[in-house]
Amino acid sequence: MKFLFTTVLVAIVLTAYGQTKISGRVHDMRGEGVPGANIFLLDTYDGTSSSGDGKFEFNTHETGTYVLVVKFIGFKEFRREIVLINKPVIVEINLIEEINELEAVTITAGAFTASDEKRRTVFRAIDIATTAGATADIAGALNTLPGTQKVGESGRLFVRGGDGNETRTFIDGMVVLDAYGPSAPNTPSRGRFLPFMFKGTSFSTGGYSAEYGQALSSALVLDSKDQSEESRTDIGILSVGADVAHTQAWASGSAAGKIQYTNIRPYFGLINQEVDWKTPPESIEASAAFRQKVGKRGMVKFFGNFNHTDYQLYNHDIDNTDIKQLYDLTNSYRYLNGSYKNSLNDNWIVRGGVSYTYQQNNTFLDADHALDTEQGIHVKSVFEGSLSEKVELKTGIEAISRNYYLNYSPENGPAINRAFDELITAAFVEGDLYTSNRFVTRGGARLEYNNLNQALHIDPRISFAYKTGKVGQVSMAYGVFRQSPKNDLLRVNDQLDAEKSEHFILNYQRIENNRTFRIETYYKKYASLVKYINGNAYDLNNAGSGYAQGIELFWRDNQTIRNVDYWVSYSYLRTERDYLDFPYRTTPTFASGHNFSIVYKHFIAALKSQVGATYSFTSGRPYNDPNEEKFNHARTPAYRDLSFNWSYLPKPYLIVYFSCTNVLGRDNIFGYEFSGNMNAEGLYNSRAIRQPAPRFIFLGIFITLSKNKTVNQLPSL
Amino acid sequence: MKTQNIISLLIGMVVLMVSTRGYANDDKYLEAMQKNIQSVYTAKTIEELQGAVNSFERIASAEKTKWEPYYYASFGYIMMANREKDGAKKDQYLDQALTAVNKAKEMVPGESEVITLEGFVHMIRVTVDPASRGPQFAGLAMQTFGKAVALNPENPRALSLMAQMQYGTAKFFGSSTAEACGTLMKSLEKFDTYKSDNALAPQWGREVAESMKSQCL
Repeated sequence: MKFLFTTVLVAIVLTAYGQTKISGRVHDMRGEGVPGANIFLLDTYDGTSSSGDGKFEFNTHETGTYVLVVKFIGFKEFRREIVLINKPVIVEINLIEEINELEAVTITAGAFTASDEKRRTVFRAIDIATTAGATADIAGALNTLPGTQKVGESGRLFVRGGDGNETRTFIDGMVVLDAYGPSAPNTPSRGRFLPFMFKGTSFSTGGYSAEYGQALSSALVLDSKDQSEESRTDIGILSVGADVAHTQAWASGSAAGKIQYTNIRPYFGLINQEVDWKTPPESIEASAAFRQKVGKRGMVKFFGNFNHTDYQLYNHDIDNTDIKQLYDLTNSYRYLNGSYKNSLNDNWIVRGGVSYTYQQNNTFLDADHALDTEQGIHVKSVFEGSLSEKVELKTGIEAISRNYYLNYSPENGPAINRAFDELITAAFVEGDLYTSNRFVTRGGARLEYNNLNQALHIDPRISFAYKTGKVGQVSMAYGVFRQSPKNDLLRVNDQLDAEKSEHFILNYQRIENNRTFRIETYYKKYASLVKYINGNAYDLNNAGSGYAQGIELFWRDNQTIRNVDYWVSYSYLRTERDYLDFPYRTTPTFASGHNFSIVYKHFIAALKSQVGATYSFTSGRPYNDPNEEKFNHARTPAYRDLSFNWSYLPKPYLIVYFSCTNVLGRDNIFGYEFSGNMNAEGLYNSRAIRQPAPRFIFLGIFITLSKNKTVNQLPSL
Repeated sequence: MKTQNIISLLIGMVVLMVSTRGYANDDKYLEAMQKNIQSVYTAKTIEELQGAVNSFERIASAEKTKWEPYYYASFGYIMMANREKDGAKKDQYLDQALTAVNKAKEMVPGESEVITLEGFVHMIRVTVDPASRGPQFAGLAMQTFGKAVALNPENPRALSLMAQMQYGTAKFFGSSTAEACGTLMKSLEKFDTYKSDNALAPQWGREVAESMKSQCL
């Protein structure tokens, strides 16, 4: 018994006093020491941190088999079983970089992302709202980025020699058939969706994901906000109307509604307009949003927008301005979007949705009547997730059904009816392969089938990105993109094939210390563009073609000068196409060779104000002068605009907002319209297309009522 | 009889060993924690803080039921974020701080100190980019401090951080700082009366509150 007791005692003493020294060095894949790493034996207190050169040593009293753990931010956890038998242990630890969103390379070719969630972005959601001259319009703000060409009389996004309809808008992945509100002919339209609804905006000027189809030049992908955290009421009193919104939040969801009334008449009474309005635009708009968390990580979103706008104006004859025609438009619009997102497990996400767009234009030109209706339904379902740490996969199917109907009843003559029912079914797959934190390859393809012409297309998309150092990266993208012809062409011939473009993009980007530099060059090839056969607008084929190429620069700095943020964009574009009625390949009217803009924002604490200014320059655009021999050969004067805005926050819940476009009152000319008849001298008379007024002045007062008095509408302005 | 004695002696020894080991472990836990809490309070550089945070993570790996190691690891990461200038790295530290504080929250969901620290993470997020982060994270921080105060109205740290947020907002809008100063005074009172039977209860925050006092007088 005594013997047993002694043995037990000795054993206790041994465990207490036997020590094992564990030492070694922690290094990364390039062999450089990792300082500050945490090295320890699992489930014990024993361990240490590595020193400046990655070396470490510590002692332990433990014996037996233990797991040695090494951890450090940005690296994968290292684990190895070691046996402790009172003999020194020396280990060499090679830590492997973790692929993480923050450090990993991202594909930036063609992409501008504005997000409050992801960190290293070039553009933030609030930037859109506070850009002078944009008057809180998404397209207006994005027009200050490289890759866009300013087309002042349209207000839409024209990207890299593409027409305005070549840019498609997606909300929560679902297509929006017409994202712009109605406007008078040759006056700019505004986007229907306000920037404050979205937590993220991704504006791609080419080479985008296989998930997005039916967009020839550009995809504007908007991610709506998740549920609101707080109940609040917002009231806006504007120089052109009023709005009221209420948000009700509960633990797992929120609901919001907004009603907006716009009547521009009192404003037009004060400021002389170029347009001869009989009844200036008046509109009523209501929107509603609903969000509900489902389970632990699921979310259902619903959004609806209803708008009714009407106006009447007179079109004056070019030769004799006393002759005028009444143009009367009533536009009804409905957009409904329901989407669902949930995690299947830690690695896989399923998301899907349905969107419905209804748009009707009821137009009278004197007694000629046109009723034009389009309805669209988009259904989509996507699975995405990781196959492994290095491979991410996204795959989905979708169907876009469009139903178009036109009834045209002229005063004299027979009525014309045109209609088409298009159904596009598509499937896509795309994979991201991370060879390391520095190199990623994205490859994918999109398959589309069109029921009208029974065409089946498979379009490849591929891109690479390589991090050249801590702050710089190079990326490349290639892809084939397709889009059905515009409604006014498809209604003439529904057998037309989709128009096609091919993008080649090379990009370099550097982000350091809140300073961003980007340079991008591209070549875009157009094929299968719709063409009039022998100049006949009712005889169409897909024989058109074209190209666009250019180089773009972007610089942003919100570091050098305190409280100042500015960005500068320059785009050079060369583009020609032979489509529609073009007699040969030439530059279309919406393309301008040089676009330059500088956006400046200054926060002045003493005035509790943010002031901003934007200067834009666009070189002259072509227009066709029938008095000249060559087609589209004449050039408009250059466009210049200096806009100003001022937000003043006297109280946490109150904002006064003032903005003025074209402060200098420059008479910008966007093009010329020509008479259909020759005058006595054998020439065609012309009339310039001008801005509706030299300046647009906007004043608004925004009040927010909530329990938490620090909340205001600043993020929405 | 003899064998029985031996058996009972052995059992007794084992019981004794296990229980002394238990006590020893608790002492060891307290001792290790106190030493590292000292160093996290006094650390001057990011490297020193990383060392202390590493120790807390080691303790957390051995002590599966204790929330304090995660709490102090999170606190250490917040202090690292405070000292870091690079926005992306700041965010990285704050991500680590949030992971740690969430682990503590799982163990003691109703602990006001843990909720306060969660609010502190949101508060430092604002400093990364006040213009874009302010609206979202300032509101979130205020809400979280509100929750912490509701859980324990005696928590001086929740009150003091709340006062700092209120003060900043009032200064920005040039409105009265009365509300902020009221919260601050209440927090200073609570610092005086604060008692906890937990030997590892947090002690920080008083100096900042004291230094803010001059702005309220």
